[in-house]
Amino acid sequence: MSRLPHVLYGLFALLCLTALVWPVYAWVGERIEPRILGLPFAFAWNVIWVAASFLALVAYDRTLERRRRA
Amino acid sequence: MSSDQIIVVSIAGLYLIACLAVGMIPAKRSSDSAEGFVAGDRAMGGVMMYFITGATIFSAFAFLGMPGHAYSRGVFACYVLGYGALGFVPFYFLGPRAARVGRRYGFVTQAEMVAHRFRSPRVALLMAAITVYALVPYIAIQMRGAGLVLNATSGGAIPNWAGSGLVYTVVLIYVLRSGVLGVGWTNTFQGILMMVLAWILGLYLPHALHGGVREMFDELAAKNPDMLRAPGLASAKEPALHVIERAGPGSWAGYTSGVLISILGFCCWPQLFMRAFSAKSERVLRRTVVLYPTFQIFLVPILLIGFAGINFEKLPAKADQVLPHLLMSLDLSPLIVGLFCAGALAASMSSGDALVHTAASVTVRDGYVTGLRRKLGPHDERRWIRVMIVVVMLGSYALERTYQGDIVSLLLLAYGPIAQFLPVLVATLYWRRATAAGIGAGLVSGVGLSLLIKTGVIEGLGVHEGLWGLGLNVVALVAVSLTTFREGEEGEEFLRVASTEPSEA
Repeated sequence: MSRLPHVLYGLFALLCLTALVWPVYAWVGERIEPRILGLPFAFAWNVIWVAASFLALVAYDRTLERRRRA
Repeated sequence: MSSDQIIVVSIAGLYLIACLAVGMIPAKRSSDSAEGFVAGDRAMGGVMMYFITGATIFSAFAFLGMPGHAYSRGVFACYVLGYGALGFVPFYFLGPRAARVGRRYGFVTQAEMVAHRFRSPRVALLMAAITVYALVPYIAIQMRGAGLVLNATSGGAIPNWAGSGLVYTVVLIYVLRSGVLGVGWTNTFQGILMMVLAWILGLYLPHALHGGVREMFDELAAKNPDMLRAPGLASAKEPALHVIERAGPGSWAGYTSGVLISILGFCCWPQLFMRAFSAKSERVLRRTVVLYPTFQIFLVPILLIGFAGINFEKLPAKADQVLPHLLMSLDLSPLIVGLFCAGALAASMSSGDALVHTAASVTVRDGYVTGLRRKLGPHDERRWIRVMIVVVMLGSYALERTYQGDIVSLLLLAYGPIAQFLPVLVATLYWRRATAAGIGAGLVSGVGLSLLIKTGVIEGLGVHEGLWGLGLNVVALVAVSLTTFREGEEGEEFLRVASTEPSEA
Protein backbone atom coordinates (compact mmCIF):
# COMPACT_ATOMS: atom_id res chain seq x y z
CA MET A 1 0.00 0.00 0.00
CA SER A 2 1.38 3.44 -0.96
CA ARG A 3 2.80 5.52 1.86
CA LEU A 4 2.31 8.74 -0.13
CA PRO A 5 -0.66 10.12 1.92
CA HIS A 6 1.27 9.57 5.17
CA VAL A 7 4.38 11.24 3.76
CA LEU A 8 2.41 14.19 2.37
CA TYR A 9 0.46 14.72 5.60
CA GLY A 10 3.67 14.40 7.64
CA LEU A 11 5.33 17.05 5.48
CA PHE A 12 2.31 19.31 5.86
CA ALA A 13 2.33 18.91 9.66
CA LEU A 14 6.03 19.80 9.73
CA LEU A 15 5.44 22.84 7.53
CA CYS A 16 2.50 23.95 9.71
CA LEU A 17 4.53 23.54 12.89
CA THR A 18 7.43 25.52 11.43
CA ALA A 19 5.08 28.29 10.32
CA LEU A 20 3.62 28.74 13.80
CA VAL A 21 6.81 29.19 15.83
CA TRP A 22 10.17 30.97 15.74
CA PRO A 23 11.90 31.72 13.32
CA VAL A 24 9.22 31.64 10.56
CA TYR A 25 6.48 33.22 12.66
CA ALA A 26 8.96 35.79 13.98
CA TRP A 27 9.61 36.83 10.38
CA VAL A 28 6.01 37.01 9.14
CA GLY A 29 4.52 38.01 12.49
CA GLU A 30 6.44 41.32 12.47
CA ARG A 31 3.81 42.67 10.08
CA ILE A 32 0.51 44.31 10.85
CA GLU A 33 -0.21 44.67 7.10
CA PRO A 34 -1.65 43.23 4.92
CA ARG A 35 -4.86 42.94 6.87
CA ILE A 36 -7.05 39.93 6.22
CA LEU A 37 -10.77 40.45 6.91
CA GLY A 38 -9.71 43.38 9.08
CA LEU A 39 -7.38 41.26 11.23
CA PRO A 40 -3.70 42.21 11.58
CA PHE A 41 -1.43 39.83 9.69
CA ALA A 42 0.18 38.28 12.80
CA PHE A 43 -3.32 37.32 14.02
CA ALA A 44 -4.67 36.23 10.62
CA TRP A 45 -1.57 34.03 10.05
CA ASN A 46 -2.66 31.76 12.92
CA VAL A 47 -6.26 31.62 11.67
CA ILE A 48 -5.03 30.69 8.18
CA TRP A 49 -3.00 27.77 9.57
CA VAL A 50 -5.91 26.50 11.67
CA ALA A 51 -8.01 26.47 8.46
CA ALA A 52 -5.19 24.87 6.43
CA SER A 53 -4.66 22.21 9.09
CA PHE A 54 -8.36 21.40 9.05
CA LEU A 55 -8.43 21.02 5.24
CA ALA A 56 -5.23 18.93 5.21
CA LEU A 57 -6.57 16.55 7.84
CA VAL A 58 -9.91 16.26 6.01
CA ALA A 59 -8.05 15.30 2.82
CA TYR A 60 -5.81 12.82 4.65
CA ASP A 61 -8.73 11.26 6.49
CA ARG A 62 -10.84 10.90 3.34
CA THR A 63 -7.95 9.27 1.51
CA LEU A 64 -7.44 6.72 4.29
CA GLU A 65 -11.17 6.14 4.58
CA ARG A 66 -11.43 5.36 0.86
CA ARG A 67 -8.60 2.86 1.24
CA ARG A 68 -10.32 1.16 4.15
CA ARG A 69 -13.48 0.73 2.13
CA ALA A 70 -11.63 -0.54 -0.96
CA MET B 1 -31.05 44.17 43.28
CA SER B 2 -32.31 46.45 40.50
CA SER B 3 -34.91 45.20 38.01
CA ASP B 4 -32.16 44.79 35.38
CA GLN B 5 -30.12 42.63 37.75
CA ILE B 6 -33.21 40.54 38.51
CA ILE B 7 -33.62 39.89 34.76
CA VAL B 8 -29.92 38.90 34.49
CA VAL B 9 -30.11 36.55 37.47
CA SER B 10 -33.38 35.07 36.16
CA ILE B 11 -31.77 34.23 32.81
CA ALA B 12 -28.87 32.57 34.65
CA GLY B 13 -31.42 30.66 36.79
CA LEU B 14 -33.32 29.46 33.71
CA TYR B 15 -30.07 28.35 32.15
CA LEU B 16 -29.16 26.32 35.27
CA ILE B 17 -32.61 24.66 35.30
CA ALA B 18 -32.21 23.81 31.60
CA CYS B 19 -28.77 22.26 32.30
CA LEU B 20 -30.20 20.19 35.12
CA ALA B 21 -33.05 18.94 32.92
CA VAL B 22 -30.74 18.10 30.00
CA GLY B 23 -28.21 16.41 32.30
CA MET B 24 -30.84 14.19 33.92
CA ILE B 25 -32.32 12.83 30.66
CA PRO B 26 -29.66 10.17 29.97
CA ALA B 27 -29.70 8.78 33.52
CA LYS B 28 -31.28 5.48 32.45
CA ARG B 29 -29.52 5.17 29.10
CA SER B 30 -26.31 3.52 30.27
CA SER B 31 -25.78 0.21 32.04
CA ASP B 32 -25.52 0.09 35.83
CA SER B 33 -21.76 -0.57 35.74
CA ALA B 34 -18.52 1.38 35.96
CA GLU B 35 -18.14 1.03 32.18
CA GLY B 36 -21.58 2.59 31.68
CA PHE B 37 -20.90 5.40 34.17
CA VAL B 38 -17.33 6.19 33.02
CA ALA B 39 -17.33 5.30 29.30
CA GLY B 40 -21.05 5.47 28.41
CA ASP B 41 -20.92 1.76 27.41
CA ARG B 42 -18.57 2.84 24.55
CA ALA B 43 -21.56 4.07 22.54
CA MET B 44 -21.07 7.84 22.09
CA GLY B 45 -22.00 9.10 18.64
CA GLY B 46 -20.36 11.79 16.51
CA VAL B 47 -22.31 14.88 17.62
CA MET B 48 -21.87 14.19 21.33
CA MET B 49 -18.17 13.35 20.90
CA TYR B 50 -17.66 16.62 19.01
CA PHE B 51 -19.23 18.73 21.74
CA ILE B 52 -17.93 16.81 24.74
CA THR B 53 -14.41 17.27 23.36
CA GLY B 54 -14.78 20.89 22.29
CA ALA B 55 -16.77 22.10 25.28
CA THR B 56 -14.48 20.32 27.74
CA ILE B 57 -11.51 22.21 26.32
CA PHE B 58 -13.19 25.62 26.32
CA SER B 59 -13.41 26.35 29.97
CA ALA B 60 -14.00 29.42 32.11
CA PHE B 61 -10.36 30.19 31.31
CA ALA B 62 -11.15 30.39 27.59
CA PHE B 63 -14.21 32.59 28.10
CA LEU B 64 -12.64 34.93 30.68
CA GLY B 65 -8.88 34.29 30.54
CA MET B 66 -8.34 34.50 26.78
CA PRO B 67 -9.93 37.97 26.41
CA GLY B 68 -7.75 38.94 29.39
CA HIS B 69 -4.66 37.61 27.59
CA ALA B 70 -5.48 39.55 24.42
CA TYR B 71 -6.25 42.64 26.52
CA SER B 72 -2.93 42.58 28.38
CA ARG B 73 -0.56 40.88 25.90
CA GLY B 74 -2.02 41.55 22.46
CA VAL B 75 -1.21 39.06 19.71
CA PHE B 76 0.68 36.79 22.16
CA ALA B 77 -2.77 35.39 23.00
CA CYS B 78 -2.96 33.96 19.45
CA TYR B 79 -0.67 31.12 20.57
CA VAL B 80 -3.92 29.38 21.50
CA LEU B 81 -4.84 29.27 17.79
CA GLY B 82 -1.31 28.21 16.89
CA TYR B 83 -1.25 25.13 19.06
CA GLY B 84 -4.88 24.35 18.25
CA ALA B 85 -3.93 23.86 14.59
CA LEU B 86 -2.04 20.66 15.42
CA GLY B 87 -2.74 20.01 19.11
CA PHE B 88 -5.31 17.27 18.67
CA VAL B 89 -3.59 15.55 15.72
CA PRO B 90 -1.61 13.03 17.87
CA PHE B 91 -4.98 11.73 19.08
CA TYR B 92 -5.91 10.86 15.46
CA PHE B 93 -3.26 8.14 15.68
CA LEU B 94 -3.27 7.28 19.40
CA GLY B 95 -7.06 7.38 19.94
CA PRO B 96 -8.14 4.49 17.66
CA ARG B 97 -5.35 2.25 19.00
CA ALA B 98 -6.38 3.02 22.58
CA ALA B 99 -10.03 2.33 21.65
CA ARG B 100 -9.11 -1.13 20.28
CA VAL B 101 -7.27 -2.26 23.40
CA GLY B 102 -9.94 -0.58 25.53
CA ARG B 103 -12.67 -2.70 23.96
CA ARG B 104 -10.59 -5.86 24.16
CA TYR B 105 -9.42 -5.51 27.77
CA GLY B 106 -12.17 -3.29 29.25
CA PHE B 107 -10.10 -0.15 29.97
CA VAL B 108 -11.84 3.14 30.73
CA THR B 109 -8.77 5.20 31.74
CA GLN B 110 -5.35 5.76 30.18
CA ALA B 111 -3.37 4.70 33.27
CA GLU B 112 -5.00 1.27 33.49
CA MET B 113 -4.11 0.76 29.82
CA VAL B 114 -0.44 1.57 30.52
CA ALA B 115 -0.41 -0.51 33.71
CA HIS B 116 -1.85 -3.53 31.88
CA ARG B 117 0.65 -3.39 29.02
CA PHE B 118 3.61 -3.22 31.42
CA ARG B 119 2.07 -5.16 34.34
CA SER B 120 2.97 -2.24 36.59
CA PRO B 121 0.40 -1.05 39.15
CA ARG B 122 2.93 1.51 40.39
CA VAL B 123 2.78 3.32 37.04
CA ALA B 124 -1.03 3.53 37.38
CA LEU B 125 -0.66 4.92 40.89
CA LEU B 126 1.86 7.53 39.73
CA MET B 127 -0.30 8.58 36.76
CA ALA B 128 -3.39 8.74 39.00
CA ALA B 129 -1.57 10.97 41.50
CA ILE B 130 -0.37 13.34 38.73
CA THR B 131 -3.87 13.43 37.24
CA VAL B 132 -5.66 14.28 40.49
CA TYR B 133 -2.97 16.84 41.37
CA ALA B 134 -3.54 18.49 37.97
CA LEU B 135 -7.32 18.33 37.92
CA VAL B 136 -8.30 19.60 41.39
CA PRO B 137 -6.91 23.16 40.87
CA TYR B 138 -8.40 23.08 37.38
CA ILE B 139 -11.85 22.38 38.88
CA ALA B 140 -11.31 25.07 41.54
CA ILE B 141 -10.62 27.61 38.77
CA GLN B 142 -13.89 26.69 37.04
CA MET B 143 -15.73 27.17 40.34
CA ARG B 144 -14.06 30.52 40.93
CA GLY B 145 -15.04 31.62 37.40
CA ALA B 146 -18.69 30.72 37.99
CA GLY B 147 -18.74 32.64 41.31
CA LEU B 148 -17.08 35.71 39.76
CA VAL B 149 -19.51 35.85 36.84
CA LEU B 150 -22.63 35.59 39.00
CA ASN B 151 -21.22 38.12 41.46
CA ALA B 152 -20.34 40.65 38.74
CA THR B 153 -23.59 40.35 36.77
CA SER B 154 -25.80 40.48 39.87
CA GLY B 155 -24.12 43.69 40.99
CA GLY B 156 -22.62 41.92 44.00
CA ALA B 157 -25.98 40.58 45.25
CA ILE B 158 -24.82 36.96 44.86
CA PRO B 159 -21.57 36.47 46.81
CA ASN B 160 -18.80 34.44 45.15
CA TRP B 161 -19.14 31.50 47.57
CA ALA B 162 -22.89 31.20 46.94
CA GLY B 163 -22.56 31.53 43.16
CA SER B 164 -19.91 28.84 42.76
CA GLY B 165 -21.69 26.65 45.34
CA LEU B 166 -25.04 26.90 43.52
CA VAL B 167 -23.64 26.28 40.04
CA TYR B 168 -21.59 23.28 41.14
CA THR B 169 -24.48 21.78 43.08
CA VAL B 170 -26.29 21.59 39.72
CA VAL B 171 -23.19 19.96 38.19
CA LEU B 172 -22.96 17.53 41.10
CA ILE B 173 -26.57 16.42 40.66
CA TYR B 174 -26.42 15.62 36.96
CA VAL B 175 -22.94 14.06 37.04
CA LEU B 176 -23.94 11.80 39.95
CA ARG B 177 -27.17 10.84 38.28
CA SER B 178 -26.06 10.37 34.67
CA GLY B 179 -22.26 9.93 34.66
CA VAL B 180 -20.43 10.58 31.41
CA LEU B 181 -23.67 10.70 29.40
CA GLY B 182 -24.91 13.55 31.63
CA VAL B 183 -21.62 15.33 30.87
CA GLY B 184 -22.05 14.61 27.14
CA TRP B 185 -25.65 15.82 26.86
CA THR B 186 -25.07 19.03 28.85
CA ASN B 187 -21.82 19.71 26.95
CA THR B 188 -23.73 19.55 23.68
CA PHE B 189 -26.24 22.12 24.97
CA GLN B 190 -23.51 24.28 26.56
CA GLY B 191 -21.22 24.05 23.51
CA ILE B 192 -23.91 25.40 21.16
CA LEU B 193 -24.72 28.21 23.62
CA MET B 194 -21.04 29.16 23.99
CA MET B 195 -20.35 29.21 20.25
CA VAL B 196 -23.37 31.40 19.48
CA LEU B 197 -22.64 33.83 22.34
CA ALA B 198 -18.93 34.07 21.56
CA TRP B 199 -19.66 35.18 17.99
CA ILE B 200 -22.41 37.61 19.07
CA LEU B 201 -20.22 39.27 21.73
CA GLY B 202 -17.02 39.05 19.68
CA LEU B 203 -18.57 40.95 16.80
CA TYR B 204 -20.82 43.23 18.88
CA LEU B 205 -18.21 44.67 21.28
CA PRO B 206 -15.69 45.83 18.61
CA HIS B 207 -18.65 47.38 16.78
CA ALA B 208 -20.07 49.09 19.89
CA LEU B 209 -16.69 50.41 21.07
CA HIS B 210 -14.86 51.13 17.81
CA GLY B 211 -17.35 50.94 14.94
CA GLY B 212 -16.18 47.50 13.72
CA VAL B 213 -13.32 44.99 13.71
CA ARG B 214 -11.33 46.78 10.99
CA GLU B 215 -11.74 50.16 12.71
CA MET B 216 -10.70 48.65 16.04
CA PHE B 217 -7.44 47.32 14.61
CA ASP B 218 -6.84 50.63 12.76
CA GLU B 219 -6.95 52.37 16.12
CA LEU B 220 -4.71 49.77 17.77
CA ALA B 221 -2.20 49.92 14.90
CA ALA B 222 -1.90 53.66 15.53
CA LYS B 223 -1.85 53.60 19.34
CA ASN B 224 -0.53 50.15 20.35
CA PRO B 225 1.37 48.68 17.36
CA ASP B 226 3.55 46.43 19.57
CA MET B 227 0.45 44.56 20.67
CA LEU B 228 -0.28 43.59 17.04
CA ARG B 229 3.21 42.31 16.24
CA ALA B 230 4.31 38.80 17.20
CA PRO B 231 5.04 37.65 19.83
CA GLY B 232 3.04 40.43 21.51
CA LEU B 233 3.89 41.53 25.02
CA ALA B 234 5.30 39.78 28.07
CA SER B 235 3.05 38.96 31.01
CA ALA B 236 1.45 42.11 32.45
CA LYS B 237 2.02 43.11 36.05
CA GLU B 238 -1.07 43.53 38.20
CA PRO B 239 0.33 44.96 41.45
CA ALA B 240 -3.04 46.28 42.62
CA LEU B 241 -6.61 46.53 41.48
CA HIS B 242 -7.15 48.90 38.54
CA VAL B 243 -3.37 49.22 37.97
CA ILE B 244 -2.57 46.88 35.08
CA GLU B 245 0.91 47.64 33.79
CA ARG B 246 1.53 46.35 30.30
CA ALA B 247 5.00 44.86 29.91
CA GLY B 248 7.62 45.01 27.15
CA PRO B 249 7.90 42.56 24.21
CA GLY B 250 7.33 38.86 24.94
CA SER B 251 10.10 36.27 24.51
CA TRP B 252 10.28 34.01 21.47
CA ALA B 253 11.73 31.16 23.57
CA GLY B 254 8.68 31.30 25.84
CA TYR B 255 6.24 31.61 22.93
CA THR B 256 7.73 28.83 20.80
CA SER B 257 8.23 26.35 23.62
CA GLY B 258 4.72 27.14 24.91
CA VAL B 259 3.19 26.31 21.51
CA LEU B 260 5.30 23.13 21.20
CA ILE B 261 4.52 21.78 24.66
CA SER B 262 0.82 22.53 24.18
CA ILE B 263 0.79 20.59 20.89
CA LEU B 264 2.66 17.66 22.44
CA GLY B 265 0.76 17.55 25.72
CA PHE B 266 -2.72 18.55 24.64
CA CYS B 267 -4.28 15.14 24.03
CA CYS B 268 -2.64 13.67 27.16
CA TRP B 269 -5.09 15.39 29.50
CA PRO B 270 -7.02 12.41 30.89
CA GLN B 271 -10.44 14.03 30.42
CA LEU B 272 -9.68 14.12 26.67
CA PHE B 273 -7.77 10.88 26.26
CA MET B 274 -10.49 8.92 28.08
CA ARG B 275 -12.90 9.85 25.28
CA ALA B 276 -11.11 7.17 23.23
CA PHE B 277 -12.85 4.63 25.46
CA SER B 278 -16.30 6.25 25.10
CA ALA B 279 -16.61 6.52 21.31
CA LYS B 280 -18.99 4.25 19.43
CA SER B 281 -16.44 3.56 16.69
CA GLU B 282 -13.00 4.52 15.45
CA ARG B 283 -14.66 6.51 12.66
CA VAL B 284 -16.36 8.70 15.29
CA LEU B 285 -13.03 9.24 17.06
CA ARG B 286 -11.21 10.23 13.88
CA ARG B 287 -14.02 12.58 12.83
CA THR B 288 -13.87 14.28 16.24
CA VAL B 289 -10.18 15.04 15.68
CA VAL B 290 -10.74 16.15 12.08
CA LEU B 291 -13.57 18.54 13.09
CA TYR B 292 -11.83 19.92 16.18
CA PRO B 293 -10.39 23.05 14.41
CA THR B 294 -13.99 24.17 13.70
CA PHE B 295 -14.38 24.48 17.48
CA GLN B 296 -11.00 26.20 17.68
CA ILE B 297 -12.16 29.00 15.38
CA PHE B 298 -14.60 30.01 18.09
CA LEU B 299 -11.61 31.50 19.92
CA VAL B 300 -11.32 34.21 17.25
CA PRO B 301 -14.32 36.23 18.53
CA ILE B 302 -13.19 35.55 22.11
CA LEU B 303 -9.83 37.18 21.30
CA LEU B 304 -11.57 40.09 19.54
CA ILE B 305 -13.35 40.87 22.83
CA GLY B 306 -9.98 41.31 24.57
CA PHE B 307 -8.62 43.55 21.79
CA ALA B 308 -11.83 45.64 21.98
CA GLY B 309 -11.10 46.51 25.61
CA ILE B 310 -7.46 47.61 25.18
CA ASN B 311 -8.14 51.34 24.99
CA PHE B 312 -11.36 51.36 27.00
CA GLU B 313 -11.32 54.33 29.37
CA LYS B 314 -12.28 52.51 32.57
CA LEU B 315 -9.77 49.81 33.48
CA PRO B 316 -10.99 46.40 34.66
CA ALA B 317 -9.92 45.30 38.16
CA LYS B 318 -7.90 42.47 36.60
CA ALA B 319 -7.11 41.55 32.99
CA ASP B 320 -9.26 38.40 33.08
CA GLN B 321 -12.28 40.46 34.12
CA VAL B 322 -12.21 42.54 30.94
CA LEU B 323 -15.29 40.86 29.38
CA PRO B 324 -17.71 41.23 32.34
CA HIS B 325 -16.21 44.69 32.95
CA LEU B 326 -17.00 45.84 29.39
CA LEU B 327 -20.51 44.42 29.53
CA MET B 328 -21.30 46.03 32.88
CA SER B 329 -19.83 49.39 31.79
CA LEU B 330 -21.68 49.71 28.51
CA ASP B 331 -25.23 50.05 29.80
CA LEU B 332 -26.34 47.09 27.70
CA SER B 333 -29.74 45.44 27.68
CA PRO B 334 -30.06 43.07 30.69
CA LEU B 335 -31.01 40.38 28.17
CA ILE B 336 -27.51 40.53 26.59
CA VAL B 337 -25.81 40.60 30.00
CA GLY B 338 -27.95 37.64 31.12
CA LEU B 339 -27.03 35.69 27.99
CA PHE B 340 -23.34 36.44 28.58
CA CYS B 341 -23.77 35.19 32.14
CA ALA B 342 -25.31 31.94 30.83
CA GLY B 343 -22.49 31.56 28.27
CA ALA B 344 -19.75 32.07 30.85
CA LEU B 345 -21.44 29.61 33.23
CA ALA B 346 -21.67 27.15 30.32
CA ALA B 347 -17.91 27.49 29.76
CA SER B 348 -17.22 26.85 33.44
CA MET B 349 -19.64 23.94 33.80
CA SER B 350 -18.81 22.19 30.53
CA SER B 351 -15.21 21.78 31.66
CA GLY B 352 -15.89 21.41 35.39
CA ASP B 353 -18.29 18.48 34.97
CA ALA B 354 -15.89 16.49 32.78
CA LEU B 355 -12.96 17.24 35.12
CA VAL B 356 -14.85 16.14 38.24
CA HIS B 357 -16.03 12.97 36.53
CA THR B 358 -12.50 12.19 35.30
CA ALA B 359 -10.77 12.89 38.63
CA ALA B 360 -13.21 10.62 40.49
CA SER B 361 -12.99 7.82 37.90
CA VAL B 362 -9.18 7.94 37.88
CA THR B 363 -8.97 7.87 41.69
CA VAL B 364 -11.07 4.70 41.89
CA ARG B 365 -10.02 2.85 38.71
CA ASP B 366 -6.34 3.79 38.54
CA GLY B 367 -5.56 4.52 42.16
CA TYR B 368 -7.62 2.03 44.14
CA VAL B 369 -8.39 -0.87 41.75
CA THR B 370 -5.30 -0.92 39.48
CA GLY B 371 -2.67 0.81 41.63
CA LEU B 372 -3.49 -0.78 44.98
CA ARG B 373 -4.84 -4.01 43.42
CA ARG B 374 -8.12 -3.97 45.34
CA LYS B 375 -11.05 -5.86 43.89
CA LEU B 376 -14.40 -4.13 43.38
CA GLY B 377 -17.51 -5.45 41.62
CA PRO B 378 -18.96 -3.30 38.78
CA HIS B 379 -21.75 -1.91 40.98
CA ASP B 380 -19.37 -1.19 43.87
CA GLU B 381 -17.03 0.58 41.49
CA ARG B 382 -19.83 2.78 40.22
CA ARG B 383 -20.86 3.52 43.81
CA TRP B 384 -17.29 4.43 44.83
CA ILE B 385 -16.83 6.65 41.79
CA ARG B 386 -19.99 8.50 42.85
CA VAL B 387 -18.63 8.88 46.38
CA MET B 388 -15.37 10.22 44.95
CA ILE B 389 -17.28 12.71 42.76
CA VAL B 390 -18.66 14.24 45.97
CA VAL B 391 -15.23 14.15 47.63
CA VAL B 392 -13.46 15.75 44.63
CA MET B 393 -16.17 18.39 44.36
CA LEU B 394 -15.94 19.28 48.07
CA GLY B 395 -12.12 19.24 47.98
CA SER B 396 -12.04 21.57 44.97
CA TYR B 397 -14.60 23.88 46.57
CA ALA B 398 -12.54 23.97 49.78
CA LEU B 399 -9.40 24.80 47.75
CA GLU B 400 -11.26 27.56 45.90
CA ARG B 401 -12.55 29.08 49.13
CA THR B 402 -9.48 28.74 51.36
CA TYR B 403 -6.33 28.88 49.20
CA GLN B 404 -4.88 32.36 49.60
CA GLY B 405 -2.38 32.11 46.73
CA ASP B 406 -3.05 32.13 43.03
CA ILE B 407 -4.82 28.92 41.97
CA VAL B 408 -3.73 29.52 38.35
CA SER B 409 -0.13 29.12 39.52
CA LEU B 410 -1.01 25.74 41.01
CA LEU B 411 -2.58 24.72 37.72
CA LEU B 412 0.44 25.91 35.73
CA LEU B 413 2.61 23.67 37.91
CA ALA B 414 0.61 20.71 36.59
CA TYR B 415 0.99 21.41 32.84
CA GLY B 416 4.58 20.16 32.66
CA PRO B 417 3.85 16.85 34.45
CA ILE B 418 0.74 16.07 32.34
CA ALA B 419 2.73 16.51 29.10
CA GLN B 420 5.06 13.74 30.31
CA PHE B 421 2.29 11.23 29.57
CA LEU B 422 2.90 11.55 25.80
CA PRO B 423 6.07 9.38 25.50
CA VAL B 424 4.41 6.88 27.87
CA LEU B 425 1.28 6.65 25.70
CA VAL B 426 3.25 6.44 22.44
CA ALA B 427 5.52 3.72 23.84
CA THR B 428 2.52 1.82 25.25
CA LEU B 429 0.67 1.78 21.95
CA TYR B 430 3.56 1.58 19.45
CA TRP B 431 6.91 0.47 20.83
CA ARG B 432 7.52 -3.25 21.21
CA ARG B 433 10.82 -2.80 23.06
CA ALA B 434 9.48 -0.52 25.82
CA THR B 435 9.64 -1.90 29.38
CA ALA B 436 8.00 -1.07 32.69
CA ALA B 437 11.33 0.16 34.07
CA GLY B 438 11.77 2.43 31.05
CA ILE B 439 8.26 3.87 31.40
CA GLY B 440 8.79 4.50 35.13
CA ALA B 441 12.22 6.08 34.59
CA GLY B 442 10.90 8.35 31.84
CA LEU B 443 7.88 9.46 33.82
CA VAL B 444 9.73 10.11 37.08
CA SER B 445 12.65 11.95 35.44
CA GLY B 446 10.40 14.03 33.15
CA VAL B 447 7.98 15.02 35.90
CA GLY B 448 10.83 15.67 38.33
CA LEU B 449 12.79 17.91 35.96
CA SER B 450 9.72 19.93 34.91
CA LEU B 451 8.80 20.54 38.56
CA LEU B 452 12.38 21.52 39.48
CA ILE B 453 12.43 24.08 36.68
CA LYS B 454 8.94 25.38 37.39
CA THR B 455 9.71 25.90 41.06
CA GLY B 456 12.96 27.72 40.21
CA VAL B 457 15.41 25.14 41.58
CA ILE B 458 16.93 24.77 38.07
CA GLU B 459 17.08 27.51 35.42
CA GLY B 460 14.97 26.75 32.33
CA LEU B 461 16.52 29.49 30.13
CA GLY B 462 13.08 30.80 29.18
CA VAL B 463 12.04 27.48 27.61
CA HIS B 464 8.87 25.83 28.93
CA GLU B 465 9.76 23.36 31.70
CA GLY B 466 7.57 20.64 30.19
CA LEU B 467 9.71 20.63 27.04
CA TRP B 468 12.91 20.05 29.06
CA GLY B 469 11.07 17.33 30.96
CA LEU B 470 9.92 15.68 27.73
CA GLY B 471 13.47 15.61 26.39
CA LEU B 472 14.81 13.88 29.49
CA ASN B 473 11.74 11.63 29.63
CA VAL B 474 12.31 10.30 26.09
CA VAL B 475 16.04 9.76 26.68
CA ALA B 476 15.42 7.92 29.98
CA LEU B 477 12.54 5.85 28.55
CA VAL B 478 14.57 4.69 25.54
CA ALA B 479 17.85 4.13 27.42
CA VAL B 480 16.33 2.20 30.32
CA SER B 481 14.00 0.18 28.06
CA LEU B 482 16.90 -0.93 25.88
CA THR B 483 18.89 -2.08 28.89
CA THR B 484 16.14 -3.88 30.83
CA PHE B 485 14.16 -7.06 30.36
CA ARG B 486 10.96 -6.79 28.33
CA GLU B 487 7.84 -8.78 29.03
CA GLY B 488 6.92 -11.72 26.84
CA GLU B 489 3.98 -12.68 24.65
CA GLU B 490 1.31 -10.74 26.46
CA GLY B 491 2.88 -7.42 25.45
CA GLU B 492 3.09 -8.70 21.86
CA GLU B 493 -0.59 -9.60 21.93
CA PHE B 494 -1.44 -6.12 23.31
CA LEU B 495 0.37 -4.44 20.41
CA ARG B 496 -1.21 -6.81 17.91
CA VAL B 497 -4.68 -5.81 19.16
CA ALA B 498 -3.70 -2.12 19.10
CA SER B 499 -2.50 -2.25 15.49
CA THR B 500 -5.30 -4.39 14.01
CA GLU B 501 -8.03 -2.25 12.47
CA PRO B 502 -11.51 -3.71 12.90
CA SER B 503 -13.30 -4.23 9.59
CA GLU B 504 -16.24 -1.94 10.54
CA ALA B 505 -13.97 1.02 11.48
